[in-house]
Amino acid sequence: MAAVLPPKGDGGTYTFASQPRAVQERKKYRETRDPLIQNDVPSQYGNIMYDRRIVRGNTYAQHTLPASAQPDPIEIQRQQENKRRAMARKRAKEQLRPRSPEAVEGRKHIDVQTELYLEELSDRVEEADVDCQTDAFLDRPPSPLFIPAKTGKDVATQILEGDLFDFDIEVKPILEVLVGKTVEQALLEVMEEEELSNLRQQQRAFEELRNAELVEQQRLEEQERRHREEKERRMKQQHEVLKKEKETAEKIAARAFAQSYLADLVPSVFGTLADNGYFYDPVERDVEQGFMPWLMEQVEIQLEKSELGRMVLDGIIREVTSNRLDLYSTAEDKASSTTQAKSNTENAAPEPSPDTTTVSKFIY
Amino acid sequence: MAFTRISAKYPPQIDPTRTPLAYGARAIPRLNRELNDETLLTRQRAVMSLCDYLHDPEHIATALREGIVESLKNLLSDPDITVRQKSTECLFVIAGHAIGRDAFIDHEIIKPVSNLFNDSEDIARQNAHKALEMIAETPNGAEGIVTCELIPTLVDKLKTEHDEIKVLILDTLHYCMRVDTSKALSSGAMKIFTSLLSHELPIIRSKAARDIMDLSVPLAGKDKAVEEGSVPVLVDLLVKDDSPDVIANSAGAIMTITITTKGKYTAINCNAIEALVKLVNHQSSEVRLNALKALTCLSEAPEGRDVLLLFVDSIKERTEDSVPAVVNAAKIAVKVITWKP
Repeated sequence: MAAVLPPKGDGGTYTFASQPRAVQERKKYRETRDPLIQNDVPSQYGNIMYDRRIVRGNTYAQHTLPASAQPDPIEIQRQQENKRRAMARKRAKEQLRPRSPEAVEGRKHIDVQTELYLEELSDRVEEADVDCQTDAFLDRPPSPLFIPAKTGKDVATQILEGDLFDFDIEVKPILEVLVGKTVEQALLEVMEEEELSNLRQQQRAFEELRNAELVEQQRLEEQERRHREEKERRMKQQHEVLKKEKETAEKIAARAFAQSYLADLVPSVFGTLADNGYFYDPVERDVEQGFMPWLMEQVEIQLEKSELGRMVLDGIIREVTSNRLDLYSTAEDKASSTTQAKSNTENAAPEPSPDTTTVSKFIY
Repeated sequence: MAFTRISAKYPPQIDPTRTPLAYGARAIPRLNRELNDETLLTRQRAVMSLCDYLHDPEHIATALREGIVESLKNLLSDPDITVRQKSTECLFVIAGHAIGRDAFIDHEIIKPVSNLFNDSEDIARQNAHKALEMIAETPNGAEGIVTCELIPTLVDKLKTEHDEIKVLILDTLHYCMRVDTSKALSSGAMKIFTSLLSHELPIIRSKAARDIMDLSVPLAGKDKAVEEGSVPVLVDLLVKDDSPDVIANSAGAIMTITITTKGKYTAINCNAIEALVKLVNHQSSEVRLNALKALTCLSEAPEGRDVLLLFVDSIKERTEDSVPAVVNAAKIAVKVITWKP
């Protein structure tokens, strides 16, 4: 602390600079400190109230170090000697102090309160701050608010604590209702939509299966249909084959029958035809058609001629006979015998018949 | 001394756009009464509240019991847009539940909802389609839609509606075609589906492919698909598309079409076999399954079998798949391919 004032009149003033530091508190309790590390602790600031360099009071009795006087080196040495000695003394004294014996092996010393009542131990010195602040100095008090002179009568009403509308308090329940209702409604709608989407998902999964199965079913149906058609076609073909075979067999049979039937048809047909005169001899036919009728005609003419001749002959015979009959009757009359006449007619009657036969024989 | 502070009890929620709900069991009857009110504002507020209220499944049964559906049916023809839009939304929420769908059919509400298909407001149309799609999910509902002769209308709408609604219509048709395909076929649905296969949205492509699959379940549908030239487009999707949904449904459509001999030869001529064989090892099980099924169908044709005999090994690997359905399909496929007369 024995800093020396710099010589005045040099033109330079005394300056001192140091990092600002918190004032170290005085410890409430004494600490047994290792004297060796003592020096490491930053030296405390000197209290300026006792700093001799600070001028206090009047300056008459000011006791300044001679500015120019260099301290006597011997003096300094002595002082240092003194200081060292004091230190050594202090150290020796400290070592002489009786201490508690060393702890037994496996144990160690700890601090324990031995008072009747336990109290909190702390390093802090109890303190209380008290301060006061004067108002900032004003040149002139602020001009008071203009308040027009009051007229009329004063009316007062008492307002108790909590009577007045307080926005912050009042808004809370309203907000809660608003937010609550909105969130409630929103939750409802969200849940509704979620349910719907879940349903849709299930529907989708189901539809996936359903479509696949539907197609499978249709495919099998179609396959079955094709197989059935194929079968029917085959059966139809088979039927047709059978039918054709049957038809062929029938045809063959018919052919055989026809052949056998027709085998003797030609001769019989020819026979019949020949019988019916389709195959004729032109000479024979000419004879039959031309000659025979002519012949018949001629024969007829001949016959008619002969008949005419016979009729003429018959007439002649009848003439003769009737003439003879007349003659006989006249003769009988003349004879007038009945018996005789009778026998005459009997003898005369057969006579013409041999004549006629001879005539006809003659004609043929 | 009455305090203004009410912190101990929460204040009621006050929203000027909604009717405050009555307590407990009275909520629905009151809403129902207000739905039939003369004043437009009351109706609007009631239908808004109802829409939120119905999102809780516990309230659906009460609502049906109190005859909310009948009131909503009347509101469908309301002149106000908000009322129509919100009432269709309510119907959509109701249709999300089994009892709701039954109520739809009991009250014959399908026809009034379908009248909204021509609504000027997009959102009302969309909600109407949403509700119908929900109804169509059950066979009864789909039957109801078919009986209402809605299929030709829906098919027509596919041409004009915007994409979001197209998706809904495709879904509705999907369910309806499980019940009856003849009406869809006669209204030219196959042609429209085929044209939608080249749409830019993958979801529409996949749904169109799925609808082709449904439509080609009966014999007439398969013939129609071949006639309209769907097969080359589908095969194209198999090769070029990268959405697994689209691929799965296209493979499904091909597998249904290739049941007939005509379909088989069309697909073979479009080189469907190469495309399908590549899909046998796809990561999605649906794609694998559909591809295997389609290959099974194709291998019934002698030409297909000849080609597929080269790929039998890769199909045999699938018999150790983790999905049992795929294993089954792979076994059948191997059996059919290696079949000898």
